Amino acid sequence: MFPVRCFTCGAVIAHKYEDYKGLIDSGKSPKEALDELGIKRYCCRRMFLTYKSVLKEFARYHGAVG
Amino acid sequence: MKVEVIRDDGFWTEFILRDSNPAFANAWRRAMKSHVPVMAVDYVDIYMNSSYLYDEILAHRIGLIPLKTNLEKFNLQNQCVCGGEGCPSCQVSLRLNVEGPRVVYSGDFVSDDPETVPVFDNIPVIELFEGQQLMLEAVARLGFGREHAKFQPVSVCTYRVLARVRINESCSSCRKCVQVCPRNVFSVDEDRVRVIDEFSCTLCKDCLKVCEENAIELTETDDFLFTVESIGQMEVREVARRALDAIKSKAQEMVSLMEEL
Repeated sequence: MFPVRCFTCGAVIAHKYEDYKGLIDSGKSPKEALDELGIKRYCCRRMFLTYKSVLKEFARYHGAVG
Repeated sequence: MKVEVIRDDGFWTEFILRDSNPAFANAWRRAMKSHVPVMAVDYVDIYMNSSYLYDEILAHRIGLIPLKTNLEKFNLQNQCVCGGEGCPSCQVSLRLNVEGPRVVYSGDFVSDDPETVPVFDNIPVIELFEGQQLMLEAVARLGFGREHAKFQPVSVCTYRVLARVRINESCSSCRKCVQVCPRNVFSVDEDRVRVIDEFSCTLCKDCLKVCEENAIELTETDDFLFTVESIGQMEVREVARRALDAIKSKAQEMVSLMEEL
């Protein structure tokens, strides 16, 4: 799951994650999306840029592992 | 001492503290970070968790969700009439009872107190898949930032000393300082180097290193530029005010201790 807060500065970022995903899906670059959402500091920006969801990966094996 | 607000939208504020000293500025900064209590979930009773996240990880995520805090309404647990056992005047329960498949958001919590609700309704807490269930009760209480970062009312809370930049007569207008300054403090006007943006100076002293005539005078002023960003539990103004109250009460305690000696 996407981290609730930025690891470094502690600002809440998770409430913007779905908007970010929507902007990326609409064809915007990560830079444009982050600028639009007002994520200014690079500590918070990297939280979005480097996030990879693993929960969905787990779900693919649902049933196989119980 | 005087405070001059430059920018304030409630949750992101810049202000100048004038005619002060580093000791007070830093005391204030630290008080804002760690001496203003806010609500956060500190204890989670998990009755049912068949999701992919472990109970601890789930509890940690719930703890990090900021909750709107009304400090007039609640007591610190160790100063409460219940003696720290937990009662409606020092803690709030937030219940969650959901079934997958769906994404659970912070807004799905049902709070006992209509005022103590998550600041943001759309924080994804966990994603539940087919057949997964979650039943829990999260207990929020007041706490201080020095205990855990989730109890901090501010994320960014910094100050910098404002500089006084002057150019004296020995300046040869070589313009090296204009080129080297990373904050564009200097500019050339009618063949003379002038200070155009003293406010931006961060006292890096690069200009002093390149100036062969020693024509630049850099001094620290007694003014401090604060940048404070609130997490959302309360506005920056209230955090700042309560931090000052905390410093005051600590100072008074110190005075009474000194009198006893």
